[in-house]
Amino acid sequence: MKKDLEIAGFSILPIRFPSTPAFAKPATHYLYLRAHEPRIPDADTPRSMFIVNVPADTTETHLRHLFGTQLSAGRVERVEFEAVESKQKSAAPQANIMSKKRKRVTADELQAQLDGVELPSTWDRQLQKSGARAIVVFADKPSMEASLKAARKAAKKDTKIVWGEGVEDRLPSLGLQRYLNHEQLRYPDRAELLRTVNDYMTMFSQVAEARKREEARKAQEPDEDGFITVTSGPKLAAAAHEDEARELIEKQKQKSQGLEDFYRFQSREKRKEKQNQLLKKFDDDKRKLADMKKRKGKIAPE
Amino acid sequence: MSTHSAKRRRLSPPPDESSHARIINRDKQADSDGSNITRKAASYTPRITGREKNDRSAELALASGFYKSSFFKLQLDELLNELRPNYDKHVSRLQETLQELKTVIESLPDRPPKSALEAEKELRGSHGITVPFPEPRPGKDTKYTVSYSRPSNINVVGSLSLRTGAKSSEPLTVDLAVTMPNTLFQEKDYVNYRYFHKRAYYIASLAAGIREAEGLGFNVKFGLQDGDSLRPVILLAPKRTDEKEHVSAKFQIRIITAIEDSLFPISRTLPARNNIRQGSTDASASEESTPLYNATLRSEATVTLYHKYVYNAARNCESFRDACILGRTWLRQRGLGSSLYSGGFGGFEWTILMSLLFEGGGPNGKPVLLKSYSSYQLFKATLQFLAGRDLTSPLLFSATDIPFHHGVPALYDGKRGLNVLYKVTPWSYAFLRREANTTVKMLNESRDDNFDKVFIIKVNEPLLKFDRIVKLPSPDCASVLRNLHCQTAIYDVLAKALGDRADLIHIYGGVTEPWPVEAKPNRKLESKGVFVGLLLNTENAARAVDHGPFAEQKEEAASFRSFWGEKAELRRFKDGSIRESLVWTDEASSPSIVYQILAYILRRHFNYTEDDLIYIGDEYDQKLREGGDNVFSYSSPSFQSITDAFNSVQKSIKDMDGVPLTVRQLAPASPSLRYTALRLQGTTGLPCDPADIVLQFESSARWPDDLKAIQMTKVAFLVRIGDCLKSSGVASLCKVGLENESIGILNNAFLDITHMSGIIFRLRIHHDREQLLLERQLKDKGASPLTKQQVAYALSAYKRLFIQTPRLTQAIRTLCTRFPLLSPTIRLAKHWFNCHLLAGHVSQELIELLVVRVFTQPYPWDTPSSVMAGFLRTLHLLSRWDWQQEALMVDFGELDQKAMEAIQTRFSAWRSIDPAMNTVALFVASDIDVDGVTWTQHEMPPKVVAARMRTLAKAAMKLLRDEGYGLDISDLFHTSLAPYDFVINLRAGLLREHSGLSTRFKNLDGRRIAQAAKPAVVKSFARDLQACYNQNMLLFHGDEGCSVIAGLWNPQIFKPKSWTLKLAYSTCPVESKLADEVSINRQAVLSEIARLGADLVDSIEVHTGLASKE
Repeated sequence: MKKDLEIAGFSILPIRFPSTPAFAKPATHYLYLRAHEPRIPDADTPRSMFIVNVPADTTETHLRHLFGTQLSAGRVERVEFEAVESKQKSAAPQANIMSKKRKRVTADELQAQLDGVELPSTWDRQLQKSGARAIVVFADKPSMEASLKAARKAAKKDTKIVWGEGVEDRLPSLGLQRYLNHEQLRYPDRAELLRTVNDYMTMFSQVAEARKREEARKAQEPDEDGFITVTSGPKLAAAAHEDEARELIEKQKQKSQGLEDFYRFQSREKRKEKQNQLLKKFDDDKRKLADMKKRKGKIAPE
Repeated sequence: MSTHSAKRRRLSPPPDESSHARIINRDKQADSDGSNITRKAASYTPRITGREKNDRSAELALASGFYKSSFFKLQLDELLNELRPNYDKHVSRLQETLQELKTVIESLPDRPPKSALEAEKELRGSHGITVPFPEPRPGKDTKYTVSYSRPSNINVVGSLSLRTGAKSSEPLTVDLAVTMPNTLFQEKDYVNYRYFHKRAYYIASLAAGIREAEGLGFNVKFGLQDGDSLRPVILLAPKRTDEKEHVSAKFQIRIITAIEDSLFPISRTLPARNNIRQGSTDASASEESTPLYNATLRSEATVTLYHKYVYNAARNCESFRDACILGRTWLRQRGLGSSLYSGGFGGFEWTILMSLLFEGGGPNGKPVLLKSYSSYQLFKATLQFLAGRDLTSPLLFSATDIPFHHGVPALYDGKRGLNVLYKVTPWSYAFLRREANTTVKMLNESRDDNFDKVFIIKVNEPLLKFDRIVKLPSPDCASVLRNLHCQTAIYDVLAKALGDRADLIHIYGGVTEPWPVEAKPNRKLESKGVFVGLLLNTENAARAVDHGPFAEQKEEAASFRSFWGEKAELRRFKDGSIRESLVWTDEASSPSIVYQILAYILRRHFNYTEDDLIYIGDEYDQKLREGGDNVFSYSSPSFQSITDAFNSVQKSIKDMDGVPLTVRQLAPASPSLRYTALRLQGTTGLPCDPADIVLQFESSARWPDDLKAIQMTKVAFLVRIGDCLKSSGVASLCKVGLENESIGILNNAFLDITHMSGIIFRLRIHHDREQLLLERQLKDKGASPLTKQQVAYALSAYKRLFIQTPRLTQAIRTLCTRFPLLSPTIRLAKHWFNCHLLAGHVSQELIELLVVRVFTQPYPWDTPSSVMAGFLRTLHLLSRWDWQQEALMVDFGELDQKAMEAIQTRFSAWRSIDPAMNTVALFVASDIDVDGVTWTQHEMPPKVVAARMRTLAKAAMKLLRDEGYGLDISDLFHTSLAPYDFVINLRAGLLREHSGLSTRFKNLDGRRIAQAAKPAVVKSFARDLQACYNQNMLLFHGDEGCSVIAGLWNPQIFKPKSWTLKLAYSTCPVESKLADEVSINRQAVLSEIARLGADLVDSIEVHTGLASKE
């Protein structure tokens, strides 16, 4: 039984799921907890706890309630969830990815701000992936440690902790209401939309301008060796080059057209080539047939 | 060689030029090959391998010209190898038996002449054998006598001795022809069944003798030759108890009779003669000629003649036998056989026809076939002859001036005095020609080799082949002449009644099983019954009013009235004409018009009530109405109103002037705008998706050059467009909505336009710069693989949303008007996918493509003219599609070989990139989308579901074959929940109740309120769950009307695993010896689902039996 309290360095905290009319059977969920030890610690690390396998309906409120009230150990400052994919398919992109190399500080700052401008969310509550992780940041280190301890104790004593008991009313409800709310949130207020768009576009032009300015400055500023980097024209040269190259190839193709039969050896080689192709095709066909026979058995009418 | 082929060009009949050229070319190919590689397939393989070392030129020749058909040829050779019976084995095994049999027959004692009834009584008394006298049986006052004496000749004839047969699942039949001596017959025996009565006694005597002979070990039965009740034959099957060698080699010996050629003069049995003069059951018939009777009689005399004739033909032409095998296979796959009831054109007739075509049949009596032809050429030329030459204007060989009935096919062989097609009825002939035509078209198609469709696929599946089928009561008479007379009457009446509504009326069925010698011959055809299969003409089948003759045409009007009875009405039409006419009901609730006509006319002329008839085909239309909001045709008002609303929106968008850019086009991009949506807005309270439309502006440099900024600009545009539309009055409400709002590289915003009619459109802006930007990001070398994956996803989403959907919509719209039944068939197919809970995994477009393929590439059948044929063939296609190995290619009109090669290349590329089929399982391409993964990429469906889809289709086809005509259509649409691990029952009432919930608008009446956009709750919930439990379970659900979500666990997660951070599912510790092992916490997951669903979920059933296989 002792084994059950810990796994791979994580404490196990069993939690009862409340029974619902649709699924009356009792179910126990297991949370795995540990002090947060990331590879690159930051200032908040000492007071953070790492939780694995949070239930799918977990919210910050749930965890606050769990540690604050149910275990009555520590005050939670905030919770960082692993981003949940809102798309069905795993290949769906998760976030904006505009990670072009920026060198200028001011423009980058503006860019960061720009990235912060988001269209309003259309869901009132995010769901977590099954088995997902979360980082709970406590008010201070002692409350984190106390919480961890309390959790171990609760697991040892087999204290009955019911998930989300008492916080149900404080959360946006799930089920039908969630989808009805979503249906309303999908159509944000016109004014809000326009404001977001305006903010974004204003900032976007600011970024562009800042960038331009910086470039212009850079073009005049000698670097430490005393050289001035000479740049010319807009940045979309890459695309233009592509088009140009394509055109050139096209032109060359046209030029060489009609000259394939010029020498005798050309036509001879061509004929040979054709023969070889036919032979290859024939061999391919034979292989195809053998393959077909292997798959479908003999070739016979149904 | 060239002169050679030039000569041939003149000789062979050209039904159409292209096919002709093909034949010539094939011919060349065979010639230049310098040998007969094709002809002797048995020795073909070793020959090739032998040559390979020193000389590949032969192969080259074979491969040149038609490299496509070289594959055809390889398959053909395989097929022939497979089908050629091993005659030496058979002969060596049967030799002894046949010899014994011959000895037995030869030693039978003669039986003295007696009157028919007396002889019959005696035979029954002494041997217990009932003489199989054909109807009408000899009367008491018959003056002629019957007797038996030793046959003048006994010979093995037919396909075994000629070696023209093909292997089949049926036992090998050996024909033993017993020639009756001339002494038994009198000069006038050809009249009034006298010959057939004598023959029946002869057969009975033989049967008696064989049964009593010792050591033969046969089961003796009577059967009918070619279903012809005039000619009973003896069937000998080795006894089962005899467990020596016969069991392994299934065969039966059929004893047929023959007479000397000279016994009755040919002139007596010419088709126009009447040989049933008196005492016939039908008094009126006595004046008419009796072609079938005559030909049957004559065919007895030609047994040996034809045997010799075919033998010679086979000796003269090496590939003759192979061509016979091909012909037999082709006929068998189409359900054609020698029996009168299965077309009257079988392997034997094929063989004779080919032999005759060596002598003539072409223009100016030139031969159609040459002995230098290969088997394939013989086969194809014979088919071309069948397809091209209309034999209802008789073709005579070595004869002139033979009168025939009008409308009856005739191929008269003057030397042997027989119309080879004497058993072929007008409807069978129409059927045969149609099949031949279709096959010739298939063989001429340059795109596909169609080998499977010509030889492999079983074409004779009535439910797939015909649009409507009627089962008639079995005729109550055993006389073949009477039966045919009945069928002809039915055919004539139906042909007249249906007119141009039906392209083909085919009557088939009615098999007489062999019966034991003690019993009386079967009085009835087997209860399988007689069927009428109809191929409908799409344009005419649903016409509600038939115009008859004008009132002034007294005679015609009278005959019209007498034919139609009280249904005929005199009406005045809009153009002022007064005509006899028929008016049928075409309301949705009434049965189809074809059914009304059939039911009416069959009752009127044959007194068949509706209980007598079983009518198959309408139930599929009905099913669609039930499942699809009572809408059937693409031209129904529901679809029409959406199209009209779209047109008005399009107009006002073109005219709007408050937007700084000019509009290039507004394209429809939604199932409801291409007539393929199963459920329609405005018909029921169930939620429906708004109709997607795509707006594209003229290109402008004012767009920002950044993906997210483009999305923001789109939002601004949408707001502006909404304002414009609202002020122009075309829309009652416009709302800008968001999607994928957290992902800047996907489309973020759309505009929901509620048209004045209440129909909702969802407008998205297509900006082609996005594609370039995405492609550039994809090429960016610095990007991480994950980023690239996301960009690739965005790019495919872009292409799907803005390029392929509008394109597909346009293409299907066009096709729907060309094939009126395409739209209903697609919708029924969608219903099927919904019913089997596949809606979440199979995109609608994929289903549409499948059905389109059935319509545009219908071979080996014709384009379906009914929902039944279209739908069942879609299932047939699905069941046969080996999706792991084959790409599905759909033709929208311009699929050519080049496109097919391009598609094949892409398919191979996908399979080599992703051999485990993790993102692409199905590959469906078309000429408008050669990429092939637009609708199937990113696990749409995952391979497990693809496999399930095929399994379901296979099960449906199996059901279809097992149940046949008794198939209950609801079985096809019923899905079992048993195979799933758990089932989430949703609260159906709640869904429906809230589906009407939406913002109320004062200016809309009640009907329109129900039409405001409704959340797709089932879909959203399933999507949420799938997102949470991504790899761990598969969820199955139907459309919004469906009240269950069924789930399967991923079996891989059942195994306890050691704990790591990467386990992406809810786990619980395992109490095992090994430390740190965890397994899936299924209980908790299900409890979680119940919480996530909250009031949506009514209950969760767990199928423990399956779930507990840990």
